[in-house]
Order: sequence, then structure tokens, then C-alpha cells
Amino acid sequence: MNGQVLLRAENIHKSFSGVQVLKGVNLEIRAGEVHALMGENGAGKSTLIKIIMGVYPKDSGDIWVQGEKVEINSRQDAQRLGLAVIYQELSLIPTLTVMQNILLGQETQKAGLLDRRAMMRRVQELMDRFDLHLDPNEVVENLSIAQQQTVEILKSLTVDAPLIIMDEPTASLSASESERLFDIIDRLRSRGVGILYITHRLEEVRLLADRLTVLRDGENVAVVEKKDYDPQKIIRMMIGKEITTAADRVEMKRPSGPVGLSVRNLCRKGVFRDISFDAHHGEILGIGGLVGSGRTEVLRAIFGADRYDSGEITFDGKKIASTVSGNILKGFGLIPEDRRAQGFIPLQSIRKNVALTNYDLLSGALGLIRSGQESAMCDRAIRDLDIRPNLPSMPVINLSGGNQQKVVVGKWMARDLKVLLVDEPTAGIDVGVKEAIYQILESLAASGVIVIVVSSDLQELLRVSTRILVMREGRIFKEFCEGMITQEDILTAASGIDSSMEVSDE
Amino acid sequence: MNKNSRSQFLKSFQKPLILLAVMLVMVILQPQIFPTLNNMLSILYAVSIYGTMICGMIYAVLLGGIDLSVGPVAALSGAVTVLTIIAMGKTGASVIVGVFLGLLAGSAVGLVNGLIISYFNVPAFLITLSTQSIISGVAQLTTGNHTIAAMEPASFTYIGSGRLLGVPVPIYIMGIMMLLTYIILNKTVFGQRVYAVGGNRQAAQLSGVAVKRVSTMCYVLSSLMAALSGIVLASMNQQAIAKAATGYENDVLTAIVVGGTSLAGGEGSIQGALFGALLVGVLNNGMRLMGVPSTYHTLVKGIIIICAVAMDVYAKNKNSGLQRTRLTGWMKRAGKGKAS
Amino acid sequence: MRQESVRRIISLCLLFLLIAVFGLTSSYFLAPKNIYAFLRDASVTGILTVGVSFVIITAGIDLSTGALTALCAMLMANFLYYQPGVPIPVLCIVSILVGILGGLLNGFVVTRLKLPDFIATLATQGIFRGLTMFFAIRESGRIRNQVIKNRAFLAFSGKFGFGLFYVTVVFAVMVIIGQLLLKKTKIGVYTYATGSNRKSADLSGIPADRIKRFAFVLSGFCCGLAAIFLLARTGAATVDLGTGLEFDVIAAVVVGGCAFSGGRGDVVGSMIGALFMAILTNGIYKYNLGSEYHVIIKGVVIIIMVLFDSVYQYWFRSRTRSADKRARNGKAVVE
Repeated sequence: MNGQVLLRAENIHKSFSGVQVLKGVNLEIRAGEVHALMGENGAGKSTLIKIIMGVYPKDSGDIWVQGEKVEINSRQDAQRLGLAVIYQELSLIPTLTVMQNILLGQETQKAGLLDRRAMMRRVQELMDRFDLHLDPNEVVENLSIAQQQTVEILKSLTVDAPLIIMDEPTASLSASESERLFDIIDRLRSRGVGILYITHRLEEVRLLADRLTVLRDGENVAVVEKKDYDPQKIIRMMIGKEITTAADRVEMKRPSGPVGLSVRNLCRKGVFRDISFDAHHGEILGIGGLVGSGRTEVLRAIFGADRYDSGEITFDGKKIASTVSGNILKGFGLIPEDRRAQGFIPLQSIRKNVALTNYDLLSGALGLIRSGQESAMCDRAIRDLDIRPNLPSMPVINLSGGNQQKVVVGKWMARDLKVLLVDEPTAGIDVGVKEAIYQILESLAASGVIVIVVSSDLQELLRVSTRILVMREGRIFKEFCEGMITQEDILTAASGIDSSMEVSDE
Repeated sequence: MNKNSRSQFLKSFQKPLILLAVMLVMVILQPQIFPTLNNMLSILYAVSIYGTMICGMIYAVLLGGIDLSVGPVAALSGAVTVLTIIAMGKTGASVIVGVFLGLLAGSAVGLVNGLIISYFNVPAFLITLSTQSIISGVAQLTTGNHTIAAMEPASFTYIGSGRLLGVPVPIYIMGIMMLLTYIILNKTVFGQRVYAVGGNRQAAQLSGVAVKRVSTMCYVLSSLMAALSGIVLASMNQQAIAKAATGYENDVLTAIVVGGTSLAGGEGSIQGALFGALLVGVLNNGMRLMGVPSTYHTLVKGIIIICAVAMDVYAKNKNSGLQRTRLTGWMKRAGKGKAS
Repeated sequence: MRQESVRRIISLCLLFLLIAVFGLTSSYFLAPKNIYAFLRDASVTGILTVGVSFVIITAGIDLSTGALTALCAMLMANFLYYQPGVPIPVLCIVSILVGILGGLLNGFVVTRLKLPDFIATLATQGIFRGLTMFFAIRESGRIRNQVIKNRAFLAFSGKFGFGLFYVTVVFAVMVIIGQLLLKKTKIGVYTYATGSNRKSADLSGIPADRIKRFAFVLSGFCCGLAAIFLLARTGAATVDLGTGLEFDVIAAVVVGGCAFSGGRGDVVGSMIGALFMAILTNGIYKYNLGSEYHVIIKGVVIIIMVLFDSVYQYWFRSRTRSADKRARNGKAVVE
């Protein structure tokens, strides 16, 4: 029955190790509505979802499902109540069929054997009811991402009165696939399904959402009805600051130094295209954009970690290498997005991690390491970057996030660095260390190193960049090279809204 | 001394203590025979073959892989060496050529293992299991299923049966190889790269390490050491047979694992493996002295492997929880407000 | 299912190719007597492949099957030697029970002690082998390979009038039961799920650990069953009985299409693989090549098939998913 409240969360509090992540958040979702949830990184969206799905316990607050007060302590609890979530990393079984995946865990049996015909009927009924058709016998791994998503959706529809939470569902979809998804969502809505739609993309909210809840810093900002939709106002709500302090309005500067890195027409099919820009000595070039806009891929392509289809990258007039080791020798460095998985060797000491990219400088005949030089390099890194604790033999996994990142930076700084590509410099790092890392980047730029920073943290981007490019859907959408700009400006551009002139999204 | 370095200090003494404890038990059980110099030497002598193999297989394990083909590779190399010596008239030169060819044969196997595992992304245990089978067949073909006597020249038999200053030569060989491995793993760029690849493959790749090449090289080294052991073994037994060193990979694996090298890769040391080897050697020796039939050794060793790996897995799980609390502990201690 | 059917066709082609090669080069090959013979040769390994297929589909491995089979055989031999009057059905039950116990041990070590499959079963292989030696029949302190004289038991190695061996029938029955279990029951679906994507399986509430234990127990059951026929065939329980058997089983399973990455293949495929390996062996011996060639070829076959499967999967995947390279795998949105 449309309009009935499916889920109501009231006054949810949650903190992790003393840090308050949710400070009394409310959320209400009705049957037959698409309810969007927006907020910047760190606003608390993901934590709220995990609490609803029983992954984390809440500290306080109440949750009602279909009018009944419930305690959700496990994923099974959530499933039984009709709550389902579809993450980007889909939880399907690749080598099983569509039908088997949809009914996984709820198979129909007859005398101990699977009743295939009955299961087929169930699946067919489901597909008919929601008008979502796929070949039930196709193996899931042969489907496109969009189709796999549909299987996940069908899987969540096997219960009554379902509420489906979708987390950035269009991040991996093409434009036409996204349209088909919106179609599906429309159909689901008309059949009474409630959908909680988490996204960064304003245009999707405009298209789909009946209501929108904006979170900021763990608190509700507003619940916006469709008729009151105003993109600029929403962006302001997400960012929240009044434009008062000096840090909120930053002046962008046209670069004054000579061109160092030059990228022309870089293309990779399906990932990014026509990427052209120059990075000058002495500036910090920031690259903003929503998740999935291709920023990380561009950095990795420049570094040589990923391939690209066409385009030219030159440094000081010469073509760069196509391999990681080649570029490292040329003075390139990359600070990867996922520090834990790609940034350092966890069980190895600070000394060894700092030395890892620098053995061309530290070794002699037969590959023997000059251990004295290695120690000196490590001591220098610890000193210059204020790495704590000052224990060169400590495994890097035991350091705090900020110090881990300093180690990652340290290994590049020990070289004659020419270009430093940074992807999310301070993700998961405490405020105090963030500033230290920004200062490191600034001093590098001042000494002539080309610094390119990709970040999803708008405040950080403003803090650190002297010029900002905004990418959107694989292309460079806008450049901010002069005047005062704010976080809003960046987010507006990242959302595809060009406030200076009408630009049509493709 | 803060908590972290204190626990590391204690940890480094753990293994020698365990070894000492086990040896003490043996002394109590067999006070007449066990603690004699002769017995100690015979323990080291028995350990020396698979001890040398350890110096190779440890590379594969540090990568997160394994090499199950070391036994037949050893047998094959021994056979190749002996046959070469015989074919070249059992001269001094023939020994040099023979040893060279034997080592070459072993390395070739390692190269094949390494290339397949590194470039095709297939499980190491499966490939080396198959290679184990293939090479045992090749070894049988090479020896014609005969026992090939290798009792001369003296320069050859010296390798396995000779003594220098009263200590059997194979013990020196193992010692030298262990030292070499220690140097490679701890003091060379290649060694660091092995630990890097085993510790975090992606991070190693982004740091410019040629992961596939390092991986291939590790398997070559593993087979090279197996080849060396095989040559020493042939010299020890003064014969080359196809079934030599059968099942040795079990002892090698046990020693490596007991010595603290994780099968997941990226963690471990040759010193630890040495202790593991000595422990296994002491246990073998003790069991033999006590009259426990050799048939039960596989039983005991199987149990030891399970215990050792289970403890390793348990410690790892406990540790990752420990890292987190250690982290927040540091944050609180490093300074209020200005957390590091 | 298309990838699976293509793979099935490939293994069938390999089988028929082999049969064709031998059939054409040897007049004797296709004689009924020879056919029944290599069917029998395939049967003991084949029975084991049923259980091991389950283990491998869960992305696991069992290296202890040879030793466990030997243990079951040795215990039966003990009964026959020390308690000659024991009824045959009891013997069979003993063997199967011991097999199941062995499987439980494997399951325990893998799911509770959390050891990786290959090291766990390598260790239990040592334990089972050690126990086999422990139970070896001794006379005046020395192991005697006591020949079994109980004719009722030895009848297990017999055959029907028209030539089909009993063990082959048991093999066929096991294949049917195994395939049914795999394809038509909840356990089968869960087995595939566990091996195909363990994380998703856990998230879907599938008791993956229990499934793994079941697979090992099934493997152990097959060991106990196979031991009966193996012992009847060889006539004596030697200490090194079944050495290398696990390798034959793995070769069969790999040829038949079960990938070590898990979630693929089935019992029928492994049956084809077992037949393939048996015919290959049969042929090798007919050409008077020694056992050395046998182990070499077995190893080469495994490597080729593993490489083939690895390349094939890669090719198949890139063909069907070329449009989806934009997918940022595993990156859930940071809030």
C-alpha cells in the first residue's frame, strides 16, 4: 500500500572509538517512494545504512519497520524484515544461474531435491510482477554489470514489502544502462517498493527522487520534497558552511612557472577521454569530481600502472615511460588511493618501505644493499616528515594511518622527485596529520615538484590546490584557474551544472 | 623499552627456547647417547640435506607459494651429476662438469615452474605437484631405474662423505648456503623485493618491482638448492637413485613453517627456518634413539605441521586485532589532541 | 551454462580422440574384454573423484585420499587377519566409517583450525599414512603383507558373466548419486556457491564451513568405499598402498573440467576425466612404456589442462564483459 511508512529510524547515535559519526539522525521511507540520501564524504550515510542492515549495532535510537519497533542485529534479521541492500561490489555467485542466484537460500524443494519447475515458476512470477525480464538460465558471470544489478534487485524482491537500498548504483553503468535502471526503479516504485537511493549525482535525484534527505557531519540537515528541489540549495546544504571564514573562499591562481607535465588527448575506452591539461612547476593541480569520474584511472595511466588507448604524455618535452619502473626512474611517484591495499608492505619495517623504490640509489655490486645509506635515508624521512614513532624497524602496519601515509610519501621524497601524483592524500587520517601532509605537498611544489592531487574531500581540495580541474564522467568538465571559489563551486561543477553557461549533459 | 620492542625482543628468543626445551627433554630421556658430540654431529648431518633445500624453498614460501618438486629435482640432479662423472671418465674435471650440469638441470626445472606459476596465475602447489610427478619419472628414465654407483672419484665422494676438521662437509655446505640465503634475503635488493611481493603484491607493483620476474627467480632458486642437496645426497650415499630424497619436501615444509615463515607470504626468516630444521632434526634423532620406528615419523610430522600452521594462523588473527588496539593505544599516548 | 557446456564438449572430444587413436592403432583396444578392463581400472580412481570433485568445486583440495584409502584397506585387512569370521558387510561398514572419520578430520582442520586446504590435507596425508603403518600386520615385529584368503571378500573384485566388473557398477552408481546431489539438491547449489564466491555465499547466509566439511566427509566416504574394491583387487594391504592415488584423482578431476578456482565442473566431467586417465594408462602400458612415462604424462596432462582452463576462462570472461571495463571493482562508496 503506497504511502505506508516502511522504515523509520529515529534519533540514531553511533560513535567509533570516541568519534561521533551519527548524532541523532532521522530517516523515514515510505512504500512506493524513491527516497534519496545525499551528503558529503564523512556525513554518515554509509554508517547509517550499515546500522539499518544490521552490520553495526547502534548506540542509541529506535528503528521501526512497517510500524513495528525492531532490533536489527544481523544481516539475517534485516533480510527477514524485508530490507535489502545493493552495493557496488555485487554479492552474486558468478558461476550460478540467474534463477539460482535469485532464490539462493530460499530454494523450493520436493522430497529433498530441488523442485526446479516450482523455482522457475517463482522466478517467472517475480519477473512478471515487476516487469524485469532476464533469461533465468543464464549464468551470472556472463551478464553485464547492469544485468547483474537487475539480478540483485530481483533477489531483494523475493520478500514481501521490501525496502531496497541502492548505494551509488549508476557508478559502473553506462548512460543507457542507467536509463534502464531508472526505468526499473520507476516500475518498482509503482508497485509499492520503497527505495533508498544513495548518490552524489544531483541530476539523478531530480529525475527519480520523491523526497531527499541530506546529511552533514552525522546530522540531518533537511528532508526535501520533490517540489522544493533546488540544486544549488541542496549543494549548500551538503556543504553547510556559510561563506564567512577565509578558508572557505580560496583564490585560484593561473600558473606562473614553466610547463612540466603535459597531457594531450588521453583516452581509454569506457574510462576517460580527451584528457588534456598542463601541470606547471610550482603549482598544485587539484582534480575534483564525483566517484567514478575517472580521476584515479587518469593518474594511474600517467604513472604507467594502467594502460591507455591513445594520447600523449610528455614531461619537460620528452615522452614519459610506459612502465611503472621506467617512470619511477624518471622521477615520478604515485600515492595510491587505497593506502592499505596498495600503499605499503604491511609487515615490513619503515626502513624497508622507505627504501623499496630507491634501491637504484642504495645498492652496489651484486645488488648488495648499502645498509648505512638505507638507514640514513630512513632517518632522513622520519625526520623530515615527522614520522612517529621514531622506530625504523617498526612494521608499517602498526603505525597510525597518518604515519603510514607519511611513509608512503617518504619513499618518493627520498628520490629526486619530479612529479608526485597523489590520490586521496588524507583518507582516514586525523585532522592534525592532515595539515602536516598538506604542508609537505606545498613544500614539494615550492621546490619545483609537479604535484597533482585527486581528492573527494572538497575542503581538502580547496586547501591544497592552486588550480582545480573538475572531471565528470571521464572528461574534464571545468577548470578553476582564477577568482575565488568555494566548495559549492566544485561540487556544482562535479555534478555537471555549469553555473556560468548552459551545458547539456549527454 | 616500550611495549612493542619488548615483545619483539621476547619473540626473537621464543624459538631457541623451544629448541632448548625439546633438547632438554631428549637429554633426560636418553642421557647416555643424546648429548654426545657424535650425536650432535649426526643430527646436523641428517639435517644438512633438507637444510640446504630449505635455503631454496624459503623463497617460494616467502612469496606466498610453495615448491613441492624439490625431492625429485634433487634425485634428478644427483643422477645427472653422477652420470656425467661416469661418462667423462671419473676425472677431477668430470666432477666439476657434473656438478655444473646437475645444478643446471635443477635450475631448468625451477625456471619452468617459475614461468608457469608467475605468468599464468595458476596455483603453485598444483603446478609443483605435477612437476614433482614429471621429474620423478624423468629421474627414473635418467637412471634407467638402476642404482648408479658413485664411489669415485674421491673429489666427488668428499662432498658428501668427507670431513673437514672433523665435521662432515655437508654440514659446511648447509651452513654456507644458509649464510648466503641470509645475506640475499636481508642484504640485497632482490631479497627485499621477495618480501615486498609476498607482503603486498599490488604495492610492490606500484613501487616498480617486476613482480613476475622476482617470482620466477624464486622458483629457480628453490630448484637450484634442491639440485645442490641432491648432489650432496648422491655423494653421501655414494649412489644415485631415482627415489632419492622422496618425501623430503615434507621435512622442508615443516621446518620452514615451524620456523615462523607464514604460508601466506611476506613474513619469515631463514634463521627461523634453521631452528625449525634443527627442531625436526632433534625430534627425528630423539625418536630414533628411543626406538620409535621410522614409520611413525610421518604421523608425528603431520601433527607437527598442523600444530605449527594452526598456531601461525591463530597468532595472525589475534595479531590483526592487536594491531588495531595497538594503533589506538599509540594515538592516545602520542599526545592528546594532536594524535599522530 | 554455455561455458560449462563448451568445456564438457572439450573433455568429451579429448576422450573420444584418445579412444580413436588407440582404437585405430591397436586391434585389441576395442575388444570388449579390454573395454571392461580399463573401465575397471578407471573405477577405483573414479569412485574417489566423486568426493574430490565436491571438494574442488568448493575451491578446496584433498591430498589425503590415497593415504586414507590405504588406511581403510589396512584396517579391513586387520579384521580379516585377526577375526577371520567377521561378516563381510561389517567389514564394508568399518571401511566406510573410517573413511568418514578421516573426512571429518580434514573438515575440522580446514574449517576450525583454519589451515589452508593443501597444507591441511598434506599433513593429514602423513597422519593417515603413519596410521596405516601403525596398523600394518606384523609377525615377530616385521611387517607382513598378509595376503587375503577370504574368498567372499575377494569376490568384490569379480565381475558379471558378460564381463562387466562389479566395481564399475559401483562407480557408475556413485557418479549418478554424486551428480544428482550436485545438481539437484540444495547442498549442490551451496557447494557451487561456496567455491564460486565465498564472500557472497557468506553474505547470502549459506553455511559455507558446513558445506566444506560435508565435501571432505564425502571424499572420505569415497575413500572407504574405494578401499574395499582396491583391497579386493590387490589382494593384500601393503603399507604403501594407494601411494600417488590422490594425484590420479586430481588429474582426472582437472581433465574433466573442475577448476581449482572453484564453482565449476561436475561429477560427470570428472568421470570423463577418470576414463581419460585410465585409457591413457592402459594405452601407455600397451605400448610398453614403463611406469616412468606414466607419471610424466600424468603430470604433463595436469599442467596442460590447468593452463588451458586458466587461459580459457580468461578469454571467455574478456569476451563477454568487454563493455563493462568501467566497473570499479570492490569500491563501495565512502560515505
